[in-house]
Amino acid sequence: MAKVKTVLKVKNIKKAYGDFQAVKGVSFEVARGEVFGILGPNGAGKTTTLEMIEGMRSIDSGSVMVDGINVAEEPYKVKERIGVQLQSSSFFTNLNLVELLKLFGDLYHESIHPMHLLREVNLEEKAKSKAKDLSGGQRQRFSIATTLVNQPVVVFLDEPTTGLDPQARRNLWDLVKQIQSNGTTVVITTHYMEEAEVLCDRIAIMDDGKIVALDTPAKLIDQLLKRGFKPRKSIAKATLEDVFIDLTGKELRD
Amino acid sequence: MKRNLQALKSLTAASIKMYFRNVSAVFFTMVIPILLVVIFGVLNSGDGSGSIHIAVTNKSNTEVAKSFDTTLKSIKTFKVDTLSESEARDKLGKGKIDLQVIIPADFGATGAAGLQPGTVQAYYNQGKPQTGQTAGLIINQVVSQFNAKVTNAPQIYAFKSTAVKTNNLGYIDYLLPGIIALTIMQLGIFSVAFAFISFKTSGALRRLQATPLHPINFLIAQGATRVLIGMGQVIILLGIGIYGFNMHLIGSLFNMLIMAFIGTLTFLAFGFAIAGWAKDENQAAPVANLITFPMLFLSGAFFPRDAFPTYLQKITDYMPLTFLSDGLRRIANEGVGLWAVSGDILGLLIWALISGVIAIRVFKWE
Repeated sequence: MAKVKTVLKVKNIKKAYGDFQAVKGVSFEVARGEVFGILGPNGAGKTTTLEMIEGMRSIDSGSVMVDGINVAEEPYKVKERIGVQLQSSSFFTNLNLVELLKLFGDLYHESIHPMHLLREVNLEEKAKSKAKDLSGGQRQRFSIATTLVNQPVVVFLDEPTTGLDPQARRNLWDLVKQIQSNGTTVVITTHYMEEAEVLCDRIAIMDDGKIVALDTPAKLIDQLLKRGFKPRKSIAKATLEDVFIDLTGKELRD
Repeated sequence: MKRNLQALKSLTAASIKMYFRNVSAVFFTMVIPILLVVIFGVLNSGDGSGSIHIAVTNKSNTEVAKSFDTTLKSIKTFKVDTLSESEARDKLGKGKIDLQVIIPADFGATGAAGLQPGTVQAYYNQGKPQTGQTAGLIINQVVSQFNAKVTNAPQIYAFKSTAVKTNNLGYIDYLLPGIIALTIMQLGIFSVAFAFISFKTSGALRRLQATPLHPINFLIAQGATRVLIGMGQVIILLGIGIYGFNMHLIGSLFNMLIMAFIGTLTFLAFGFAIAGWAKDENQAAPVANLITFPMLFLSGAFFPRDAFPTYLQKITDYMPLTFLSDGLRRIANEGVGLWAVSGDILGLLIWALISGVIAIRVFKWE
């Protein structure tokens, strides 16, 4: 199959729940190998946008092409090519991590090596644990492992670091970079600006169901300064989080 | 298609694993039915001998009295103790014996006019009139025999009983098909509804929807799991009944399994209707109980409906659990084929259709 350079083409998609217009016409494109961030306050329509792209929610109007396939027409074909981490990741009870990964592999008709995947997300020694017995960071890492079983073209991570401590969050950043270095495109939503700055090649900022800005983090900051923005304080050479990490170490606590 | 089948197989295997690792599900759908069979089986496993406990006080030492005493002891239904009158009265008062029999001192004695008339006294517990009356009837018969012997009166009336070959069915034969039906109802309604709702509320089902597998496969896997477990339960319960408690399976195991399979489909349709409609466990529990609880008592699963008032019998004729337990019972007890229980099968299928349509109309994946 010819590799399409643009992995994701979103054209003016809209979604309404009753009278409420959750997504009011969103368009963007994501290039292969990119980490693309979607930022925005709660209720901005990030998750709905993702779910429409993933084929998990019907699209009222507009179109989404994933790897050259129209989501609305062939949602199952798209689902075969993508990996999806949902905001509240939950798995079947009473199955351990290896069994869950094998099951996911079978759902994609892929024979996989669960231990390889677990090693990739640094969960080898939890192979026989149940998902519910994992810490927050471990659960998110496992959740990401399940998105990789089908060697997806693009993975969608919906707020993967929300609620994690700084160590676990940084650990997850490393994982995202690792996924990118394997050639997989990543679309990620987050509330943390420094995370977006560290991880994302480009960022779309959403508000009220629309994209209000879309560019690289550096250019977005430039544009703001050009508009005459004056920082309230002189820019510190380090952040409080740097202090925290310096004092408590980078080592994972879970 | 073939690929989907593979995924379905794997999903079913996972679902069976999950079922057996869920202690409370296994307890309610596997352990409880087995316990019920064992408990009722043990309680009803006696053949009736020695079931009435009597105490005899023989105050006479005549041959007739001795012979009377021996005759009583030879009756299989009686367990006979020889006690003094006061001891026996004491035991009767404490409920330790069912009947006190006193043979008077002059019983069988010969007077001037030949044999003296004598009266055998019996006392029984007012609180257990049935046992007392049964014992009284038996003793009355013995007394009549003695009368007949003594008076040498010609036997005008005779009673001849001829054994008729019956299947000699006991309570276990009645009960077991009922328990199988009950198990299938619980499997179909509770086990499916609660498993499915927990996947729905936890988000596990949502995660599955992100995979290329159509979620209907998940429902099929859940159903297939219950069918397999249900069939296994039929075999286990019948095995315990037949080898442990002398149950008689007159009909074929195959027909039992087919009937149980149809019943499983029917109750699965109920289960999916509840699971698809309910947002959470709190919504599902009352509805599931409202459906199953009345059937528990009204379907004749544990005891026959003969004692019900006629209108209630007519209503309960149409309950799905009645169809299932009656069908299973007729196959097991009468040895009939599936055609003979086609009415029950039709009844089950109509219920399956009704609840299936409701399930499709109210089903929500989230």
